[in-house]
Amino acid sequence: MPSMASGPAGATTEEREVISVSGLSHAYASSGRTLLVLSEVQLQVRAGSYVALTGDSGEGKSTLLALLGGLQRAQGGELVVAGQDLRRLPSQQMARFRSRTIGFVFQHHCLVESLTALENAALAALINGVSRPEAVARARALLAQVGLLERAGHLPGRLSGGERQRVAVARAMVNRPALILADEPTGNLDERNAQRVMDLIEQLRHEYGATLLVVTHDSSLASRAATTLRLKEGRLEAA
Amino acid sequence: MSWGATFRLALSSLLRRPARSGLTVLGVAVGSALLVALGSIASVAESRAVEHFGKGLPVGAIKVADDAPASWQLQTDDFQLAGHKDLNQDAIRQIRRLPNVRAVVPIQAAPVLVVPPSGDSFGATMAGTDLGLGADSPVSVLAGRLPAAASLTEVAVTQSYLDHTHPGRPPGAAVGEAIQVAEPRVEAPGSEVPFRPRWFRAKVVGVVSQDVAGADLLVPLQQTTAAREWELSGAAAPPGLRGEGSIRSPYSALIVIADSIDTMHGVRVGIDQIGFATSAPEHVLAAVLRYLHVVDIVLVGIGAIAVLLAGLNIANALLTAVRERRREIGVLKAIGARDRDVVRWFLLEATLLGFLGGVAGTLAGLLLAQALALKVSEYLTQQGIPIEALRLQDLPYAVVLLGVGGSWLLALLAAAVPALRAAKMPASEAMAEL
Repeated sequence: MPSMASGPAGATTEEREVISVSGLSHAYASSGRTLLVLSEVQLQVRAGSYVALTGDSGEGKSTLLALLGGLQRAQGGELVVAGQDLRRLPSQQMARFRSRTIGFVFQHHCLVESLTALENAALAALINGVSRPEAVARARALLAQVGLLERAGHLPGRLSGGERQRVAVARAMVNRPALILADEPTGNLDERNAQRVMDLIEQLRHEYGATLLVVTHDSSLASRAATTLRLKEGRLEAA
Repeated sequence: MSWGATFRLALSSLLRRPARSGLTVLGVAVGSALLVALGSIASVAESRAVEHFGKGLPVGAIKVADDAPASWQLQTDDFQLAGHKDLNQDAIRQIRRLPNVRAVVPIQAAPVLVVPPSGDSFGATMAGTDLGLGADSPVSVLAGRLPAAASLTEVAVTQSYLDHTHPGRPPGAAVGEAIQVAEPRVEAPGSEVPFRPRWFRAKVVGVVSQDVAGADLLVPLQQTTAAREWELSGAAAPPGLRGEGSIRSPYSALIVIADSIDTMHGVRVGIDQIGFATSAPEHVLAAVLRYLHVVDIVLVGIGAIAVLLAGLNIANALLTAVRERRREIGVLKAIGARDRDVVRWFLLEATLLGFLGGVAGTLAGLLLAQALALKVSEYLTQQGIPIEALRLQDLPYAVVLLGVGGSWLLALLAAAVPALRAAKMPASEAMAEL
């Protein structure tokens, strides 16, 4: 089983690795059968790196992302993200972990339809306990960075697909996360918008020193990453 | 997530679907309006019945005569007299010491001759009482005001005075009139005249409603005390007149106010044991209140069913919202919202729906009750039972609180299941492929 790890020479393991996965397995029950989607996955990702995760549909890419982001509980193996053992983290602390450590960008922008672009961007900070003025200030700054300050007061229904995804990127960055998990972030966008969104994600990653793990089918998008991994039959291998 | 941020999220979610939110609020308002209207009518009907049978006296009032009671006194509401007995300070002290007695109001009635401005004099009864009692006063003012508490030159008049002097005119017509009053004293046998009057002039300052002593004039107690002293300074009344119009004892009657209608019977028993005849509408009132209570149950039951339907409407609207917002709930949890943040989001939505519906419904219910009360008042007045329509002080605040608070509480209960269902949704709902 390959181990995907890299890091600066001389750094300790804790300093180097933002993701440390060992022997991770996960299965779904479907129509009375057990479907094993992840089997003995090993993965180490150092802080600040950019990793692309590819693989065919149904190979478990999104499941791995959900497990790394604390959206689901792993069934077997070791899973440590940003120093937190996610298999043993209680629910309340898991929610706090997601809020403070992870920035999610989903394939579907997943904005709250009743909130404006600014409110959507500020929402993650408010959930994180940041004061309203501070959350709004951060959201405005991020909307300015993604070029949407003039549309801050617009509801998602009045934004284009690319604009909505840029708001989602701003929301993902508002708590200055250590790890950005992006699940097909350009899957619903045309080439020009896809390019712009990925440029923004990379720019913000650099600015905040975050680690980026992108799940994608898009080989051109995967080629932008320093490391590309492939999930095949539940196992992780170098692409 | 702070309450403020959750409130904004809840409010924006409601505003996103204005038609559905509006219809849900309307449903709550209709239920709440029905509950408040029916509850108000039931409550006012009860207080009107108490007032009607109390004949203007405070609730829980018992009339005490200067007579001993017959042995069957307590079986009836009316006086059952068994011979004169002096009603004096000692009797008042004993009655005041009885449990559940809130106040004892002494009454002194005196026979007088009244000369109104028209000059057509007539025999009348003047009742004196303590006029500084406020809510426990046995009289209610229909026009003008009460005489000053110690005034010997001011009087209030009753409907029977108006019937003599201003038949068919409104009560205010008598206010401001100057009248003369003569208190008679029996002269010794062989005197030039059998009676000698003590005159005083007075100004009519108000018109009152009372059923204390069948009086035409109402004055401070000092005035009737002076009348009694005047009478006692004369000769003994002839046997045929004694007891018919003369002032027999220091007080001719008492009004004893019990704590409540429920304690009225116990107080009456105590007064009976002290040895005085009493009169109170306890039996007739108890029968009427029993019937009204049944009506209460039916009316409030109808209102409660309406509110319950409104609650189901809220539950349905929120369950639909939970289904529609699966992805949003997942995203909220993915970006760090805890289960309790999601519960709070839906409960605040329900609170807004319940509170807005409750306030709107309560206001509508009070207007509806007012309109119905006016109709009922008109009908009963036509039937010879003059009853006032709804007054501000009659508004049953408990029913108003029930309308607003009950709607809110029901909304919260109705939202409990949808809110918990939303909270249990996994954060992975945010990811379409899972």
